[in-house]
Formats: sequence, C-alpha cells, structure tokens
Amino acid sequence: MVDTQKFGRNLPDKPLGDGALQPGSVLQGRYRISGVIGVGGMGSVYQARDLRFPNVTRYVAVKEMLNLTADQSVRETMLRTFERESDMLASLSHPAVPEIYDYFSSKDRAYLVMEFINGRDLEAMIGTGGERPSVETVLQWAREMCDVLGYLHQHEPEPIIFRDVKPSNIMIDEHGRLRLVDFGIAKTFQVGQKGTMIGTEGYSAPEQYRGEASPASDVYGVGATLHHILTGRDPRLEPPFTFADRPIRDSNSDVPPALEEIIMKALAFNPTERYPSAVAMKEALDALSKPSVFTLNRGLEDQAEDGEWGQVEDDVRMLWSFQCEDEVRSSPVVHRGVLYVGAYDNNLYAVNTNDGSFRWKYATEEGISSSPAIAETENLVLFGSIDQLLYAVDTRVGHLAWTVPTKGPVQSSPAVAHGHVFFGSDDGNLYAARLAMGRIQWKWSGGVPIRSRPCIAGDSIVVGLESGEVACVDLSGQVAWRFKAKRAVTSSPVEHDGLVFFGSLDWHLYALDITRGWKVWAFRTNKPVISSPAVGDGKVFVGSVDGNLYAIDIASGRERWHFTTGGQITSSPIYANGAVYFGGIDGKVYSLDGKNGQLRWSFETKGPVPSSPTVQGDVVYIGSMDHHIYALNA
Amino acid sequence: MDFLRRILGRPDNSTAVGPSNDGIQITQDSAEPARPPEPVIEPPVNGAVAANEAAPTVVADVPPPKKVEMAGTRPLPPIEPMVPGPGQRLHFGQLSDVGMARTNNQDAVLSIVASSSSNDDLPDFGLFVVADGMGGHHDGEKASALATRIVSEHVIEQIFMAMLTQRMNDPDRPTITDVLREAVQHANDIVSDRVPDGGTTVTSAVILGDLAYVVHVGDSRAYLVTPEGIEQLTRDHSLVQRLIELDQLTPEEAAEHPQRNVLYRALGQSENLDVDAITRRLGPHARLLLCSDGLWNLVTEETIRTVVQECLDPQEACKRLVDLANERGGPDNVTVILVQVPG
Repeated sequence: MVDTQKFGRNLPDKPLGDGALQPGSVLQGRYRISGVIGVGGMGSVYQARDLRFPNVTRYVAVKEMLNLTADQSVRETMLRTFERESDMLASLSHPAVPEIYDYFSSKDRAYLVMEFINGRDLEAMIGTGGERPSVETVLQWAREMCDVLGYLHQHEPEPIIFRDVKPSNIMIDEHGRLRLVDFGIAKTFQVGQKGTMIGTEGYSAPEQYRGEASPASDVYGVGATLHHILTGRDPRLEPPFTFADRPIRDSNSDVPPALEEIIMKALAFNPTERYPSAVAMKEALDALSKPSVFTLNRGLEDQAEDGEWGQVEDDVRMLWSFQCEDEVRSSPVVHRGVLYVGAYDNNLYAVNTNDGSFRWKYATEEGISSSPAIAETENLVLFGSIDQLLYAVDTRVGHLAWTVPTKGPVQSSPAVAHGHVFFGSDDGNLYAARLAMGRIQWKWSGGVPIRSRPCIAGDSIVVGLESGEVACVDLSGQVAWRFKAKRAVTSSPVEHDGLVFFGSLDWHLYALDITRGWKVWAFRTNKPVISSPAVGDGKVFVGSVDGNLYAIDIASGRERWHFTTGGQITSSPIYANGAVYFGGIDGKVYSLDGKNGQLRWSFETKGPVPSSPTVQGDVVYIGSMDHHIYALNA
Repeated sequence: MDFLRRILGRPDNSTAVGPSNDGIQITQDSAEPARPPEPVIEPPVNGAVAANEAAPTVVADVPPPKKVEMAGTRPLPPIEPMVPGPGQRLHFGQLSDVGMARTNNQDAVLSIVASSSSNDDLPDFGLFVVADGMGGHHDGEKASALATRIVSEHVIEQIFMAMLTQRMNDPDRPTITDVLREAVQHANDIVSDRVPDGGTTVTSAVILGDLAYVVHVGDSRAYLVTPEGIEQLTRDHSLVQRLIELDQLTPEEAAEHPQRNVLYRALGQSENLDVDAITRRLGPHARLLLCSDGLWNLVTEETIRTVVQECLDPQEACKRLVDLANERGGPDNVTVILVQVPG
C-alpha cells in the first residue's frame, strides 16, 4: 500500500501504471471518468459520471482491477474471484455498505460500479490537525462500525470478514453517517513485497500476518482505529502491536475507563481474548450507556489487581518476629543460621533464624544505623556505631575482638574482602583495616563524611561521599578516578559486569564504567535516591523517595517497570528467586515479580521500614521502626 | 589495554617505578578542599529523610592529608603478573559487497580504531558503523553514507575528542549512552532533511576499553561471539520480529514471510526517532560482529559463529562470510565488520 509505506525499492515509479484511465475516458458508453479517488495495489478507484442520467449530475465510483498476470489460468481465477465477490457485495443490504450498480470486464481488467459516497474518510478527518472529535461522536462511530461489521459477520452461510478495518476505509458521508468502503476484493492476490520497506499497516491483527482472518480480526481493526482516533497517535508510526504501551486515557482523559477497557479487549494479541465478533463488541459498547454496568466493570478491574501469586494473610506470612528496644534501621545479615542486626538501642543482636530466639547482644555506646558484615574465616561480625568505633565481635560468643577508632560516627556499612574490612566514617576517611587484629592498613581521606558501603570489585573499591563524589581507590588506597554527582551519594554502589551503579540525592541512578568512572547512563527519578541498587535478571532495582521502586534495564538504562508504594522508599531492594523484596516508609514490606513488577505480596508492620531485607532460602528477614525484626515467608 | 591492566593491576607505572613506591601515599586528589554540593536543577523536597540521614549529622573536621604510618609492606592479595603480548590490541576486519543480484551497493560502513600506550592510560577506542540504505534514485546509498558520516563525526567529537582532552569525567557531560543516541538522532535529522525520499538503518558500536556500546535502528545487527557461543545483541525493528516476540510467528515462518523486509523504524522516517542502546562488557576473546541483513538473511548464526571462531584473521573471516552469502545467491548487498578484542 503506497500510502502507508514510504520506501519501496521495487515499487514502480508511477503507481498508477501505464493502464490508468485518463479523465474523459468513457466506459461501456455510460461512465465518463472524472478523476481518481484512490490507488491500490491492483488498480485504481475512479469517480465517474453516469451518462444515462443526462439531465442530472449523478456520480458513481468505479473500482478497477487490473489483471496483468501473463499466466492464463491465474488470470481466469482472479477474474472469477472478482466476479464472485462482486456478486456477494451486490447481495448485501445495509445502510453503511455502498450500493452496487454494475459489473463488467474486458480482457485484462474488470470493473465494479457502485455508489459514490460524498464525504470524508476518517483518516482525512483525524489527520488534518483540526479539533479532536468528541468522545460521544467517536462512541457513535464505534457503534455504527460494529453494526455494519456485525451485519457482515452474521452473513449466511459464511461470515464475511472485512479484513482491512482502518480509518481510510471508513467514511462519514454528507449526512454524518458512517460508511464502509473499499471491500477487500482482490486482497488475497497481493503478492509479497520485495526490498526493504519502512512502515506497517498498523491496524491489522497479528494473526492476519499468518494469513488467518476471523471476525475477531475485524474486531482488532475496530480497536486499532478507535485507539488512533482517541489518542491521535498513528499506529503506522509506532512499533506494531504496541497499543497497550499508549494508554488511551494518558492522552485523552475524557475517555471513560470502561470505553478504554472495551477498546483494549478488542486489541488483545490473541483472537480468543477479543470479542468474538463485532456483534459482541457492539453489545459491550451499547451497555456503556447503562450506568449499572459501568460500575460493575470498574469493580472487576479492581479485583484484577491482586497479585499473580495471590495474597496470603499477614499472620500466615510471618514466621516469627523479634523485638528490640528501639527502632531498627540497619539491615540484617544472616550467617549459618544466625541473624545479626543493629538497633538504635545501641545493641547488635544475634538471633537464631529458625525460631527468632535470642542468642546474644553486644552493646555499643550509641545507636547502630549501619548494617553488619561477616568475616567468615575469622568468625567476626563487623559493624559501625554512632560512637565513632567500628566493632569486630566474635560471632560465636558475642565477645569483642577489637575495635577501630575513628573521629566521627561510623554510619557506613563495612565491606569485607581480601582479608580486610573497608568502611567509611563521618570523619571523612575510608578505612582499610586488617581482619586479623583490626590494625589500620591505610585510610583515604575523602574530606566529607562517607556513609555508603564501599563496593569492592576486583582491585577497585568504589565509595560514595556526602559531597556527591564517588571515588574509586585501588587496594593500596590510591585514587583511580573520581566522579561528581550533584548531591550526596549515600546509596551504596553495586558492581555488575564492568559497570557500577549507585543512587544520589540529586534524584538519579547512575551507571559508570568501573574502570574509569565514565558515565554510561543516568536514570532520573522524581525525588532523591538513598536506596542502594540491587542487580538481577538484566535489571537494576532501586527505590526512590518519590515512592517508586524502579526496574531499569542494565543494557539500555531505560525503565522496564516501576511499582508505586504509599510512601518514600529508602530501603534497598534485594533480588532473589525471581522476586524483588524491599521495605517502604508506608510501613509495608513488599515482594514484587522481578519480570513485570506485579505485586506478589505485601506485609504490614507498625512502623516505617527503612531497613533493607536479606533473603535466605524461602525466608525474608527485615527490620522495622516498630522495633521488630520480622522473618517472613518469601 | 586498559581492561587488561585492570585485571593485572598496574605493572607498568603505578607500583614498581611510580613516583611513590611505598604505595600508601595519599594522592593529590584528596588534598582538594571539600566542596559543598552544587545546586541541583530540581531541588529535592523536604521530608526526604534517609535512614542514614536521620542520624545526627556530624560534620567531620577534615584532617590534612598525611602519610599513614607503616609504609613499606603491603600484605594485600597478590596480583597475577600477566603482560599483554605484542600485537594484542583491538583490531578488526571489514568488507562490504554489492552481492550477486544488485547493481548498486546501498550499504555503507566505517571503522576507526585508536590504540595507545602511555602514562595517561587511555583505553582502546573503536568506532564501527554499518548502515543499510533504502530508496530509489540512489537515495538509499546517499542516506546510508550520510548517516555513517554524521554518526562518526558526532562520536569523534563528543567521545574521542573528550577522551583526548580528558573531559570524560566532567560532571556536566551527557552520559555515553545519551551521546550515542544523540549521534543517531542527529543523523536522522540530517538524512530527513537532505535525502527526504531515502531511509537507512544504522547499527554502530563504540568500544572504550572492555565496554562495548551499541546503538541501533532498523534490521542491521550486532552479534557478540564468545568462546561459549553467539548472542544477537540488537533486536530488529521489523514487523516479523515483533510477531515472533508476540508468539504469532515462528522464526522459520518469519524467514519465509512475504513481509519479512518491512521495518517499523529507520532513519529518515519521522522526526522523533527512538534509538536502542545496549552496553555490554567484552570479556577476553570476545568478538563483536556488525552486519547488514544481506548476511544474516542467508547465513545462519551457527555458521557465523563457526567462521568467526575458525578464522584467526578478522579480515579473512569477513571475506568468508561475504562469500557464503554470495554462494547462496547474494540477493542483497552484504556488509560485515568483525572486531576482535585482545585476550
């Protein structure tokens, strides 16, 4: 189709071909050609004057099928089909179907004479950039479209399938009535295109590209046409079959949700999920005017929002909880059946993961806001305290092994690697201390508080600073590169396959080349990002103070999905077993399907949840500002 | 070579013969005074309380940079001494052929490699572009040639020159991904303006050290070939590809489909062009292959993989792939770039 495809390497230069009729030519001594209405793949449609009525100007439309195939038998088959379809059209009687007056053929072409419709097609009406038709008008068109297609679909003995419902095949005549034009005669003969072309039909159902067509295919065409009219977005300029990516109400809030629902059902990829015929779609449209059905549909919509895996009651979800004496903002770690977590009551707790029973606690001088780390071979749990010390405590008995003194609160969570512990302090230093006895190996001065957890990847240590800088130092404490965000980086960097990700209070999630600190991509949220990212399934997951949990495609830096909670998100998500887990300031713990962001379950605590979860096997452990640690069924 | 150095540590300048071989000197960078955060464009709202922020903020007195005690020994993990051999740098093969059926070549191709060794530690730089033009009256070849030049010009200016002038870490720089998307969008504007009846695909790869940045529009492809297998990095912007993704068509049906050459996205089509971008790390021995549909329509992924792995010389591999397409009829122009990463 010339009109929808801009480039066709092998299309003739003049689509009219050599055989086009010139104005003034007379067919059968009766029809004088006055102009071309349209050009199709198999011939043209002309406007002609009927000379049998010399005293009045009576126009007709003459549809021509050129039959240029050299093969005699193919030519005969084509002619017979054209005749048969003309007969079929002539037998139809519906106000929206043009009347058929005459049929005749010559050696290489056939003609069908029909009613000339004085009006404009929908394509011209929506393409002029004029006023958008009202929703009421479009609804009326939709009903008339379904009415005439329903008439065709109920045709006996076989339903008639129009196959090519699109704005250019729908006309509004001088009386404002909808008319269907360009019945698909000869469509079955269209040969495959050669050479690369740009642009698709845009309105055809997926199964039609397999050569299958049913009444449900016409239903798709109606949906596509209505979607185009209501959104003003031409589907031929968009990736095919992406109507769902352009919600109608996003561009046209006048459209009632129930109408959008009907149109989206008509646009289902799978024909069995659409209305089976235009008759059924018309019934749904007619029901729109009845308010009771309107509300019923809304109710169904709400129900559909339940998680794919279903909701489980909170008391079934919770395995146990453990109460601390103050808020838990730090994130737990689990090691060999024991959970370690710091609380604002100054204590680091060790709790048995099987039943939540108390094992031991170690008291520091002030609150613990950072998350502990485990040094496995040394049997140490390491954590910082507001009292300016980093503590190393024996995991087995809860006795102090050693401390590292700093000159500021230690709010950075430590990282363990290469026989050392790395952590930041509010005194502006990044420390590297030997696990053996806690001796400081080196410290690197960043000049401003360091509160993020250092990320260790190979010989690179990447750490965020409260100035917005992100520094990469090597294992000897020498700077490899520095990057500057516009606000503090409290979010802890995470490395994956040569890239390092972190959030900033400047609202962005950044991806840098870990070797050089060059900015690979940046994703902007709508509020500061304090949450540390998690990586899984080719995506980075991060929470934002704007209340959303985002899933960003690592390769492209584009959003895959987001999930909106009832408050800020400062908790860092965890990705495990195909699901994402995190806490919300709205007091809930969430689990989402990593693929699509659908809610799996949520669990309500009695306080905000800035703590990040840890997942071991089928259990999620997370702290809440309601003073509790929870063990939840993942 | 930079990625090797990262794996190997810095055998050349930082440890053995560097100005400070005690290794624990605090670098010059840290002597910079602490700067307050710059104003952000959109100020964050109040109430943005972080878990960590909620704690009392103690502004540290910044200690002056000084050497830490106990210089000398550094019992950090040993670094494997591995030195890249001679000739171990990014290199490529490239071939564009009119094919057996056409009289003109509407494909365009361009490759640039810069490799250095110096104290500045610049990563290897590679720029590779394949474009497949469409449109009559030589519009196809005009469009692909133009797009190739404009994309390259933009990348050289915005990335290669920035690298040489050491502006890559400037805070206000756009991201590398954005620069590459802009390069293709810019080419789209110019093609639409100067060749209004032509169009073209563009698939371009920029290599910076061990990271490959691929941008693409249309159905020219980028493949990553590793010792483990072959992976198509790009997703064709074609009707049949969409139908495959929706489970409405099998790849076999698509290969025979009458509309298999219908694209829904290309340069020169509309004003706002959505450009796909893919960032991937290239491991040792990785090969990146860029090609027009003249190759992949006729030569299977498996055959491409075999040829790429059997030929040590990338130019020879390109030649064999083009020959295969031509032996199978060569109905279309064929263009191949094969990039070999050292390792």
